[in-house]
Amino acid sequence: MNDDDMNDELEEFDEDGFDGALLEEELRRAAAILDPVPAELSRIAVDAYVLHDLDARIAELTFDSVVDAIPVRGATDVPRMLTFRAGEVTVDVEVTGQGLMGQVLPPQPARIEVLSGPQSAAPLTADAMGRFTTDAPPTGPFALRLRTGGEVVVTEWLRA
Amino acid sequence: MRVGTAPSAAYDDLPYTRGGAVDRADVGALVQSAVDGDAAAWKALVEGLSPLVWSVVRAHRLSDADAHEVYQTVWFRFAQHLGRIREPDKAGSWLASTARHESLKVLKSLRRLTPTDDPQLLDRVSEDRTPEESLLDSEEAAAQSERVRRLWQEFEELGDRCRQLLRVLMSTPPPSYQEVSAALGIAVGSIGPLRQRCLRRLRARLDARGAL
Repeated sequence: MNDDDMNDELEEFDEDGFDGALLEEELRRAAAILDPVPAELSRIAVDAYVLHDLDARIAELTFDSVVDAIPVRGATDVPRMLTFRAGEVTVDVEVTGQGLMGQVLPPQPARIEVLSGPQSAAPLTADAMGRFTTDAPPTGPFALRLRTGGEVVVTEWLRA
Repeated sequence: MRVGTAPSAAYDDLPYTRGGAVDRADVGALVQSAVDGDAAAWKALVEGLSPLVWSVVRAHRLSDADAHEVYQTVWFRFAQHLGRIREPDKAGSWLASTARHESLKVLKSLRRLTPTDDPQLLDRVSEDRTPEESLLDSEEAAAQSERVRRLWQEFEELGDRCRQLLRVLMSTPPPSYQEVSAALGIAVGSIGPLRQRCLRRLRARLDARGAL
């Protein structure tokens, strides 16, 4: 669109009174120029296709201390407490500055992977009591994939 | 149905719709194809709905780092739930609603950790340079560039409610009112009147500055 076209449109705009659709279009163009989706984010979203896993059961977030707990006045650096549930399997997770601590319930050994995106996974093992730890906190979105018995359970993706 | 806005066909030839805008009617079919293993269908979903997710996150004025993480969380979760989404043709609303909830959660945890900090102050325009933006820097386009920047500045200075609504409405392609409702938690029926009021307010600001 050249400048002349633009001026014609604006003259119409003034004569005919308010044209919300035109102004919304101008905003749409401005957003596409000044605040577009960062290219690296689009790539990550395209790559995220590999995260679809129709065979795993999803453990849904049923408790999140950010939303569900009453804040303690004056307490700082309280760990984030999360509970995920898939059927009878529950996964409790505590996120601190040191890492993740968690337990699979009912207590059982499990092979666990900490997923942090389409590309990477860090393996862990839960002991006979179902307890597991990592030595670093997640730096972005994460999910846990658990293999226990014959079953695969993946926790809902969450931002730590 | 949308009321009071031009159909998308009216601006199909403009550069910002180039490449990958998804016709909303196809979303359900694309979700089904992606479930069946079609990676190209997934890519088309990302290209068509990514700007909506980004708009919702930006409407909540998260810092760049938080915005990036919420955006990723939303897409990872969408991939994870693919095949389990009850109404595949409303995937846009699913994404918008998830983006809203995750954004609100970030704001809530920020308030809890640093009660005196205003996360909204951290907001700024993305530093990623698009081909369109580079073009704007050329001398011939300086006037055009100035128009766009003034428009953006006035938009940024609107009240929270209008700024939020318009930020979601201006995603590409234009979102349905169901998607806007999911993105902001406001009733579909109130979007039209609110939109009109907010656009008028913006128009008045621009007129007062003699801009555009």
